[in-house]
Parts: sequence; structure tokens; C-alpha cells
Amino acid sequence: MSAETQIQAPMPPAELAREPLVTNNRNVAWVSDQVAAIIEGKTPKWWWAAFIPSFLMMCLLGAMLLYKTSVGVGVWGNNHPTMWGWDIINFVWWIGIGHAGTLISAILFLLRQRWRTAVNRAAEAMTIFAVMCAGIYPALHTGREWLDWFLFPIPTSNSLWPQFRSPLMWDVFAVSTYFTVSCLFWYVGLVPDLAIFRDRAKTKMRKFLYGLFALGWTGSNRHWSNYEKCYLILAGVSTPLVLSVHSIVSLDFAVSQLPGWHTTIFPPYFVAGAIFSGFGMVLTLLIPLRKMCQLEDIITMRHIDLMCKVTLATGSIVGYAYIMELFIAWYSGSPYERYAFLNRIHGPYAWGYWTMMSCNVLLPQLFWFKKIRQNLLIVFIASILVNIGMWFERFVIIVISLHRDFLPSNWGYFAPTWVDIGTFLGTFGLFFTMFLLFMRFLPMIAVSEVKGVTPQSDPHHPLGGAKGGHH
Amino acid sequence: MSKTIPPTCSEPQTGLKYWRGLDELAETPEFQSWVEREFPAGASELTDSVSRRNFVKIMSASFLLAGVGLGASGCRRPEEKILPFSRLPEGYVHGVAQFYATAFPTRHGAIPLLAKSNDGRPTKVEGNAAHPDSNGGTDRFAQASILNLYDPDRANRYAKGGNVSTKAAALDYLTDLSKQAETTKGAGLCFLLERSASPSRARLQRLIKVKFPQARWFIYEPVDFDIHRKAASIATGQLVAPYYRLDRAKRIVSLDCDFIGAEEDNHRFIRDFAKGRKIENPESPKNDELINRLYVVESLMSLTGANADHRLRIPSSQVVQVAAALAAEIVGQGSAEFGALVSQLGKVAGVDAQWISECAKDLMAHKGTSVVVAGHRQPLAVHLLVNAINDRLGNIGQTVVYQDSPDTGEGTIAELAAALNAGQVESLVVIGGNPVYNAPAELDWAKTQRKAKTIVRLGYYEDETAAVTDWHLPLTHYLESWGDVRSSDGTLVAIQPLIAPLFDGMTELEFLARVGGFGTTNPYEIVRENFSTLASTLGFEEAWKRFLHDGFFTGEKPRVIVTALNWPGINPVLAQVKPATAPTKDSLEVIFHRDYKVDDGRYNNNGWLQELPDPITKIVWENVFLLSAATFKALGYTQKDNESGHAFVPWVKLTLNGRSVEGPAWIVPGQADNTVGVALGYGRTKAGRVGNGAGFNAYLLRTGDADYIAAGATLSATSAKPYPVSTTQSHWAMEGRPIVREANVAQFAERPDFAKAMAMPEPPGGDRSLYPNPLDVPDKNGVKPRDKSPHAWGMSIDLNSCVGCSACMVACQAENNVPIVGKEQVGRSREMHWLRIDRYFTGSVENPQVVTQPMLCQHCESAPCESVCPVNATVHDEEGLNVMAYNRCVGTRYCSNNCPYKVRRFNYLDYNKRPLDKLKGPFFSTPLLNTVDGEWELARWWRDPSRGIRPDDEWELLKLAKNPDVTVRMRGIMEKCSFCIQRIEGAKIAQKVKAGASADVEVKDGTFTTACAQACPAEAIVFGNVKDPHSRVSKLKAQERDYTVLEFLLTKPRLTYLARVRNPNPKMPDYTVTPASFEEWEKQGNHLAAAEGAEHEAAHAHEAAKGAH
Repeated sequence: MSAETQIQAPMPPAELAREPLVTNNRNVAWVSDQVAAIIEGKTPKWWWAAFIPSFLMMCLLGAMLLYKTSVGVGVWGNNHPTMWGWDIINFVWWIGIGHAGTLISAILFLLRQRWRTAVNRAAEAMTIFAVMCAGIYPALHTGREWLDWFLFPIPTSNSLWPQFRSPLMWDVFAVSTYFTVSCLFWYVGLVPDLAIFRDRAKTKMRKFLYGLFALGWTGSNRHWSNYEKCYLILAGVSTPLVLSVHSIVSLDFAVSQLPGWHTTIFPPYFVAGAIFSGFGMVLTLLIPLRKMCQLEDIITMRHIDLMCKVTLATGSIVGYAYIMELFIAWYSGSPYERYAFLNRIHGPYAWGYWTMMSCNVLLPQLFWFKKIRQNLLIVFIASILVNIGMWFERFVIIVISLHRDFLPSNWGYFAPTWVDIGTFLGTFGLFFTMFLLFMRFLPMIAVSEVKGVTPQSDPHHPLGGAKGGHH
Repeated sequence: MSKTIPPTCSEPQTGLKYWRGLDELAETPEFQSWVEREFPAGASELTDSVSRRNFVKIMSASFLLAGVGLGASGCRRPEEKILPFSRLPEGYVHGVAQFYATAFPTRHGAIPLLAKSNDGRPTKVEGNAAHPDSNGGTDRFAQASILNLYDPDRANRYAKGGNVSTKAAALDYLTDLSKQAETTKGAGLCFLLERSASPSRARLQRLIKVKFPQARWFIYEPVDFDIHRKAASIATGQLVAPYYRLDRAKRIVSLDCDFIGAEEDNHRFIRDFAKGRKIENPESPKNDELINRLYVVESLMSLTGANADHRLRIPSSQVVQVAAALAAEIVGQGSAEFGALVSQLGKVAGVDAQWISECAKDLMAHKGTSVVVAGHRQPLAVHLLVNAINDRLGNIGQTVVYQDSPDTGEGTIAELAAALNAGQVESLVVIGGNPVYNAPAELDWAKTQRKAKTIVRLGYYEDETAAVTDWHLPLTHYLESWGDVRSSDGTLVAIQPLIAPLFDGMTELEFLARVGGFGTTNPYEIVRENFSTLASTLGFEEAWKRFLHDGFFTGEKPRVIVTALNWPGINPVLAQVKPATAPTKDSLEVIFHRDYKVDDGRYNNNGWLQELPDPITKIVWENVFLLSAATFKALGYTQKDNESGHAFVPWVKLTLNGRSVEGPAWIVPGQADNTVGVALGYGRTKAGRVGNGAGFNAYLLRTGDADYIAAGATLSATSAKPYPVSTTQSHWAMEGRPIVREANVAQFAERPDFAKAMAMPEPPGGDRSLYPNPLDVPDKNGVKPRDKSPHAWGMSIDLNSCVGCSACMVACQAENNVPIVGKEQVGRSREMHWLRIDRYFTGSVENPQVVTQPMLCQHCESAPCESVCPVNATVHDEEGLNVMAYNRCVGTRYCSNNCPYKVRRFNYLDYNKRPLDKLKGPFFSTPLLNTVDGEWELARWWRDPSRGIRPDDEWELLKLAKNPDVTVRMRGIMEKCSFCIQRIEGAKIAQKVKAGASADVEVKDGTFTTACAQACPAEAIVFGNVKDPHSRVSKLKAQERDYTVLEFLLTKPRLTYLARVRNPNPKMPDYTVTPASFEEWEKQGNHLAAAEGAEHEAAHAHEAAKGAH
């Protein structure tokens, strides 16, 4: 007995002991069963209650886009001078949301943040669906969307090549690369879990489909070894993308000379904002889901707490950027620059600016307090407000900068139309439809990885597998 | 080219007439319908307004008319010749436009024109610069008139009692009318005409008077300029009309005379005025004689007031007192009675006496080089005073020329109404006009007109008046007509057709000749006959050909009359004038004014003019009640922040003498308090698809005794919700930004480079633009691609000459196929004008200064739009143009976002394909659900993608108005000013052809210009090759006043502006040391540190100078 005690690692003192990542001493089998229950169990009523409206909203998106394509951009509220309105706001907003997934899966993976395992699968799925929603906008906001292929470097008889000086061109590459790598990363992570569900499948159909996508996974050492290498490489590839995508999206603005857009602070500030909103969305999704799917022991309060802290950190960076923008506008001495920022603060859209400031800067400061981080209701509401705030950030940048620029004769006012609103609601429909289908048919939790972080899987842990003796 | 189908032979039948049956002989309706059944297609042509086939017929007929060499092959020989202006017929190249001299008739004159014809259809008009009184400039109405030709709502049939009839039947009716009149000597026959300066019409009138001595003649113009002639005739006791020479005037005083905007011949006034404002000689002494000085006394903020150096705002009814006060100072004791009258009348409450006395002194210091003008809205007394003042200042024969002008003695519409009410009118002949819509309200014209037994009307539209007629005949457009007219300088100009009448209409001359029952009814012969009375018989043919070729005849002119004042004519009129009581907010003064866009309502169905922003208010598609800010506030109205294209304003009711109309109330800075400006010409019910329902009808308030200025009106609130008014520019102030730069003459003398001193300091890094031009990168031989071309196109706009008249905007719209978008879309800030006129108010809202600035693509050498386009749709060419490749554009709109001047326009919807009646309504109609002419739109589109959803009649006509050299853009595409690249390329090709084997391919300066520059009567816009140091544009750009808007962005535009210089009188009480925009900019503290001291010193120096006076 004593010999056994000696070979175990010394335990930290009780006050420094970390809360386990899976609580209530759940064992590995419980993890599998609990996640599988969502897929294999009867469809819960709340799922239908969420899915039907989402699906209808997705149909609305189709109708709105068909309408826009058949009539013209004029069905939206965009005007002269506000040539970009809700189309680009929503693009940037959705792209920003899509940042949390890859950050969690790639950067936290490289940083050996093992708590990521509980949330990474859902976050990655969220990323992919958010990027899909985002991608609709640049593709369909153009005046002649049937000619969008002009943006791709395809050799044609016209001998015309896209213009690589344009940030919109960079966007095409950044977003499409990001989407591709995110999909790959997500899928690779899914393979061992798909094998679990193949093995548990009770119908032929399920067995066939899960089997097909599990790529013959057997869980052998060689599989695991290759898998880990592949995953590490993908994490390495994804990490710069997390930073590059939103940097490049920010260059859509920073490359111009419009006061309010022409700012060198944009790339880091956009990335911070993206992570901020991404974590906001992860919280919005997971807080109700862990309750609905009884996953409180996997997505624990500690996870919530950690995500709140990330939100607090990135929110503070964003707040710093806002204040620095104001300072630089004043410091630049350019009256045009100064006016653009004064106009944000007390122009006709001041309500938008102050919504942004309160949601993005003031609200996250609540997360300094542990009591608040532990209050799920407050965290849930705050996470929604974070995303509202981030929507307004893009509104402030795009609409408020455009609507009053250099020559006062150009000044105008932007208001969305019902088609703008319908399209935006429609993207929510698409997002939630996809997400609900995902959680119903694919493991929402990375089962094999979560198992890896349970105390039971640690052979040196008192509850570890070495003691279980099931070799 | 496919074979041109010869037109059908319409010779009268000669010889024996064979008939197919008794039915035919009897021409019974049964037989007619049998013919129609037998030849359904052909017979339906008779009633079908425009079909393709008909169009081809018209086209080929116009070829014939144009004398293009098809004459020999067609059976209808060209009875009339038009000689092309610059090319011979044998040089005709299919697809190359030809130009013919013609003229745009106005009420008292004409604008001489060169009309462009593309394969037989007129597409654009330009001023005829060869005419002795023209510089090639035109006005907005002439530019827009081309669209009226292709108006799908114009009268397109001969109608009897509102039903379709035939031309033959109409002609028979006219013959009967004439025969009947012959027997009665014209008793009971009344003519109601519009004003015209056509000698042929005057001659026909004289001939008819001889034949039908008892016929009566009446003239009605809702906006009439005859007062100038009338007053000059009374003042001199001879039949004369004044002809003003503003270019000779150093001091101009306008008494409610909007000669830049609403007076007749404003294009000529603008030219002469602008000539006196130009600063082209750097050697000229920079004192207050450098440019002319304009004093304006007026109530509404007019374009003339916007260009004033000193502006006195008082109610229009009190202008007579200011005129009397000026006369008292200047004329003094012209005659004892006159002196007493003016000193009594010339006491104006609320006006600084110094203003008038200093103004008078300034005038007296410029005897023979000054002029005082009175507006057509002002009563006769003001005009008589003005004649007396000009006489005393020695201006007669200098700045005012009296020309012989006979009085044709027609009656007024009130007299016609009396005759109608007395039952004296058997047959009423109405030519043009629209009295049912615009006659004085008390005449109740629709009912009164009906009291005539038969009414025949020749009209361009089947409008309100057409509904109260027995016969309605379609009038031709001037581009379909033969005619002649005298321009205001008295030169005879020709009106020649460019196209056969599209709907087989009749000219006024032919109509009158037929009513008169004359042998010659062909308008060509009528004009020629009249010409033969003017030109000497010797060499008549040559003179006639020359007349048609040049478009004018200088061999004969009205006499210039020099005479003394006729005091017995003047004094009795003055003795009757009672000083008006000042209006209050409960007894407002209403001023009915000619609209800048639709005139008196005649252009109401013209989309270009409806969408042209009013030069002052920038409102489109309607009229409003114009109020001063103080009156607006005193009446308790509020306006929602109008930052959007839509401003939400109160909907109020204006009551005048028991009659009332409702409309939106609008603030105009600088308007006299307690006055209401009401534009005429809106609220039409039968204008057509464009005009119906735009604005409210002010004629409902207007009575014959108070036709322009009416006292005692009240405005009352209604329960209606705030009403959206669409404007193209809602922000009034320049926010202290040096966008339009201006200085007083005194400042200009001290700091000739003031425009450059107002620039922002350049950012560190020197001349490094954010968006370097790839054409500046030398190739491997060390040559920059940009240097390879002999041309570098550039433009200079002189803000000192630009008066904001907006002719350039319409010219650009016509030249470049710019679509109209409708009120609703303008409200969403989606208007498509490539060229806009920015208007800023500076100073106080009570007495603002106004500046205007044409804003169009600046053709930046380092263009911010180019590098952000992901598909290379907007690129630079080697001649410095920033060009758009429409085919390549996918519509990301980033170029517009990065354009600091925001001069790019995006086709948010398929504006070129939307039906005219959809312009006002909901703009959402998807082809997936819509049907047009009973056909599913998508199927229709599949069958013919180009026609759009327009109904056939619109489509067939409006496509003819397009310039074939310019692409018609579809939805989803960005467009902008191209510096009229089609004209540049045309000129280059012409030069290359001319150069032949030589290398002389450089286009010579002045051989062509852009549409805006060509239309500009002020010659404020100059376009040319900046690589040529001797070109006019290079010389202008070398001036010290030359500056770049937003120069600190280092976009290096090819379009630069010449700063404005004002010439206020330092002795005047309202003298401002600096123009308000300069002052505002200075307050903002944007000026260069180095310039700071100098500016302040200058300001203080002026203050000291002011104190000393």
C-alpha cells in the first residue's frame, strides 16, 4: 500500500487543488452514455420547439435572398453614402462569432489548456455555422452576385485577373481558408467519437453512416499516434488563421481613408473583439444546453468561470481600443477625424455608440466578481448583451463612419428595411437549424478527449485506470 | 445596314376613283370595320400609337427629311431640306451623329441650338455658339426638352370628344371652321394663344385678321414676362422692349428680379453676369472694380439672391418702396411730380436708409456701366421706376437697349372669360397652354371654357384642358416642327425638324394656316414665305440655305430706339401706388413664383426636371410652402432632424381669400419673414405618368388681380402626420471645412493665394499618396506609362462664375443616359446624378450667404476607389481618366465608400427598366411574382432580357432618347462621371483621321468639350488637355485661386476649382469683413500656423477700415 502511495505524484495542498474538469467523480462510461443519450435518445420536445421556428426562419432567409437577387440591392436600406449597411455589419458580426471555436480548439490546445475539451466541439461547430452565415453576406451583398466568380483567380478568356491590392480580395482568401481549415479540424476531432457511435449504433443506417465517416477508426495505438500528430499540425495551422481572418476583415476598413475606418489599431482590436463575441456566443449556447442535456458535470461551473474571464479580458482590450481610438482622433489634429468620433458620441446615432460602450466595456467589468461569474442567469444575459454590443460595434464602425464623411453635402442617414431584418433573422434560422441538427446527430462533447481529462483516465490518480485493473 | 423601307406613299388620289362596293363609296362604318377585319395588322396600325413598324416608318421618313440621299428612292420626295451644320450629306456615315441648327422657342424668344441626331433620332441639344447672342450655353429647360419629345404621355391621336378620330376628319373640321368663319367674317371666333416670338405666326395672325376681321385674339401665360415690354413702352411712349447687356454693367441692382433663375432668357443673363465676375487677367488691379457687384432686393431666396454681394430681404410687396427710395436718390426731380411721388413712396420701414443711399451712390458712381432690373413678379410701377433710374444713370443704349417691339394687341384671359360668359363665343380655338389647370381661380375656367359652342385645341398633352374640348389635335414638338422665332436680341432663328412628327401632329403654323383657310398650309412654305419678306430677293435661295445651315439670319434686326422718358406715362401709374402694409404671421404675403424645374407646369411630366433638385431647397418631385425660419417657428411648426434624404415636415393649409390648398411647410434661410413662397406648376391631375400627383396646385389660390404677390393669407396646422419631403442635400452648413473657398476682393488683394492658404497641412511623409498610381511606375525603359499619351484630361471649375443654375446637371443626364429614380428613392439618397450641385448656406439663418459647387468625379490621379476594387472594374487610363468598366463591376460598392467626394452612384434597382408609374409607389416588385401586360415577368424577361418591365409604349419611346454612345447600366453596377469619355474618344478618332499619316494626333484645345461644360452658360466649367500648357484649362489651373478640394488626402484630382471672390461694398451697413465660409473656417481654427498671423492681421485691418468709414 505504502509503495503504491510512493509512486504516485505528490498531491498539492487542498487549498491549491484544482477543481476537477469532470465533477461528481463521473467515470468514463458515464461520459459516453451521457453524450450518447442526446443522440440516441428520444427527440426531446424542447428540441422540436427550437427546431421548427429555426427551420422556418431559415426558409425566410431563402425567401429574402431570392427576393434580393431578383430585385436588387435596393431592397435593403443601403444608400448613398452608406453603401454598406446591415450586409457588412452582419458579415463581420458572424465572422467574429466564428472566432471562438478555433481559438478554443487550436490556441488553447497548443497552450495545453485542458478545460477546452468540454466546450471545443460545440464551439467548433458554432464556428463553422457562423462562418456559413457570414459567408452569405459578402457573396450576396454584391450588386451582381451571379458574377461573384470574378473575385476568384480563374483564368478566363478575358485575361482579367482579380486585383490583389483590394482588401476584399484578401477577404475572399482569408475567409475561405478559415472555413476550410475549421471544417477539417472539426472533422478530424470527430473521427474517434464517430467510431464510438458507430460501435453503439443500433440501426444499420446509423452504423453505415457513422462508420463511413469514422474512416475505419479502431482506436489502435497507431491510429491514436497519427491522429494526435494530425491534430497538432492542424492546430498549428489554425492558430495563425485565428489572428489573420479578423485582421484581414479589419483591413476592409483600415485600408480605406474614411475617418473612423483609417486606423492602424484595427487588426488587434478586431481580433480581440472577435474572441470577445465568440465567447459570448459560446456562453449563450452552452448555458442552456448543459442544462437541457444534463451535462453540468462535463461543462462545469469552472468552465463557465474561465470563459467569463476570457470575456472580461478581451472586453477590456476592446474597451482600451475604443478609448485609444478617441485619443488618436483628438491627437491627430485632423478635424475630419475628430468630427467622425464626435459624431459617434453625440451624432444622430449616439444611441448606437452608447449601446456599444455599455455592452462591450462596462458590462464585462461585472465579471471581476466571482459571485457574478457563478450566477448563470446573469452570465447568460450578459453573454447575449455582449453579442448585441458587438453588433453595435460593427454598426458604429460601418454606418456611423459612412453616413457623415468629408463633404457635408453627402451626409445622409441609414435605416434598415424589413428585408434587412428578415435576412438577418434568416441567418439565425440557418445557424440554429444547423446547430440543432448537429447536437442531435453528432457528439456535442468531444467524448474521447473529455475521457482523457477525467481523473479516472489518469493511471496515477487514486481513481485512475491503473487501479481499476481493466487491462 | 439593312434596307431602309421606303415610307408609304401618301399622295392624294387623282384620276378616276374605283370602289369595291357601295359601302366603300359611302364610307360607312360597316365598311371601315370590314377593312379592319380583312387587314387586321395593317388596320390596327391606324390606332396603335407606337409600334415597331410605325417607328421604322418614322425613322425612314426622318432620313428623308434629313436629306440623306434616300430622296430619289422614296416616292415621297423631300419637300423640305435641312442642311447639316458641319457635314455634307454625302459624308454621312451610318452611326455617326449629325448636327442640325434649330432653336428652342421660349415665351419671348428662343435659345439657338445645335441638335444632335443619331441615325434620324434627336438625342441631345447644345447651344449654337455661332449665333451672335450665344456662347453655346443653354438652360435646363432646353436640355430637358429632348425628353418631352419621347414622352409616352404626349398627345398621340386626333380626338373628337375624347374618342379617337382621324387626321382627315380633323382637317375636314378645320376646313369647315374656316369656311364658316369666312361667311361670318370671323364673328364668334376666338383664339387663345401662348406667347411666341415667331414672326411667321405674327404674319399668319395678321393675315387671318384681314380675312376674319371680327375674330378676337387672346393670350394667356400664367407666368408672363410681357411686363418688361409694357413698362418700357409706357416709360418711353414708344413700342419698345428692353434688352439688357449685363456684361457691360459693373454695378447691378436687382429689384426682386431673379434674372439668374426665373426670368426669361436666364441663360443669357447668366452668361453676361458671369462675364463680369471672371478674374482671368492676373494683371488686373485687385480693387472693387475687379468684378461686378450685385445688389439684390427680394423676398424669396432666389438664385440671384444666392449670388448677391449684398442682399436685402423684404416682402415683395415692399420692393416698390425700395425702388422709389432709389429713384428719389438717383432720379430726384426728374419731373416735379415724380420727385414728390417717389419721396413720399420711398419711405420703407425696417430698412436701413444707409443701405439704399450707399447703393444709390455706388450706382451713380457708375453711370453708363450700371443697371437696375425689376422682376416680372413686380407691378408696373416698379418697372417704370427702374426705367427712370436707368435713364438717369445713362444706362440706356449701354446696359439697357430699347428695341422696336410691336404690340400685337391680344386680349387677356379675363376678357375672354367675359366674352364667353356673355355667350359671344361660337368657336374657341386654343393653341397650347393649359388654362383649365392654370387660369386665374376666379374665372373657373373649366366651366367658362365650356360656354363656347365648339372648342378645338392644338395641344402637346391630352391634359386638364383637353378634357374640356370638342376636338383635340396633337401639337408637334419643336424638334418635329418647321418654324422661326426671334431670339431676344432680335436675330431671326430657324426651327427645323430633326424627325418627322412621331404621332403625325401639327405645328402651330400649319394649324393657324388651316384655320385661316389659306392655300399654303405647309409650315416649311409658311416659314419660307415669311423669310422672303425679310431677306432681299436677290440671292434669296443662298440666304435661305445659309439661314437653315447657320440656324439664324443676321441680315435683318429690329431697330434700336433712343428716346427720352415719357413722364406723363409714368407719373399717373406711380400716383396710384399705395404703400403696402407689412405682412404679419396672421396675414401672410404669398408669392407665386415660376418653378425652377417645371416652369409654370409645362414640364411637369418631364422626369429629368422633376428629379432635378431645386437649386436652393434641393427638393425634388414636388413644391412646398417656403417659409423663413422665424415664421416657421412663430407659427409653431417643428421639423424632424432632416439628416435623411426624407425630411419630415408639417403638412399645413394655406388659405387665401377663402380658397385653400394643403402642402408641406419648409424652411428656407434668407427668406423675408411672414412671406410664403409657393411654386406654380405642380399638383397636376392629368399631366401623365411622371407628373401626376407631384406636389400641390397653387393655381387654385391664384387670382387675376393678385397673380404674383397676394396679401392676407393664413397658414393653419392640419391633423395630418408629418410629411416626408425628399431632398438631395439635407445638410446646409459646411461645418467650417474649407470646401468652397472664398474671400472678399480686399482680402484677395492682400492674399492672392488665400485659397491655397486655407488648405490643411499635409500629413508627414510629403507627397506619398496612400494609393499610388501604377501608371506612375516607370517601365523598363524608364518611361512612365502616363507620359506616353499626348493627352492628360483635366477640368477647372470657376466658382466665381458658377451661379448654380443646374443646366449642367440636366445636360449630363441627357448625355450619359442617367436614369431617374423617383421621389421615394431620392428619399433614400439613391439619386443617380453624376454631377450634382452642392449648395451650402453660411452665416446666419436670417441673412445667409449661399455658395454653390458643382461636384462630380474628380478623376484623382491617386484614386482611392481604384485600389479597393477587387475585380479591377475601376481603373486608370494613360490619359489620367478614372474609368469604369461596367461589364467587370460586380457591385461591392467599396469604391464609393472610399471615395472622399462621394461622387459614385450605384444602381440599387433596375432604374432603367422600371415603369414610370412605379417611380412613386412601392419599389418592391419582384419579377418572380409580377406580371406586366398580362405576362409573367420572368417569362417576359426570358424572352427579351433588355426590355424590362416597362409597358410597351414607354419602352418603345424612351429607349429612343438614349445616347447610343453610352452604355445603359443595369442594376447592381457602380457608375460615375466619365468626363464624357465618348466625346473624348470621338475627338481623338476625328483627330487621327485628320492627322492621316502625320503624327499630329493631339486633339486641339477647344475642338470638343464635356456635356456639362458645353451646356454651362457661365462658362464656369472648362475642360481640356492639361499637358498642353497653352490650353485654356492649363491657364486657369495656373491661377492663384486654383485649389483642390480635400487636397490633404493627396488624391491629386484632375478637377480643381477656382476660389470664389465676393465684391461687397465696404460702405454698406451689411458689409461683412470676410465671407461667412471663410469666417466659419477660421473659427474652427484649421488654418496653417504660418498663415494665422497674416489672416488675423487682415481681418483686423478690415475692421479698422470699416470703422473709419
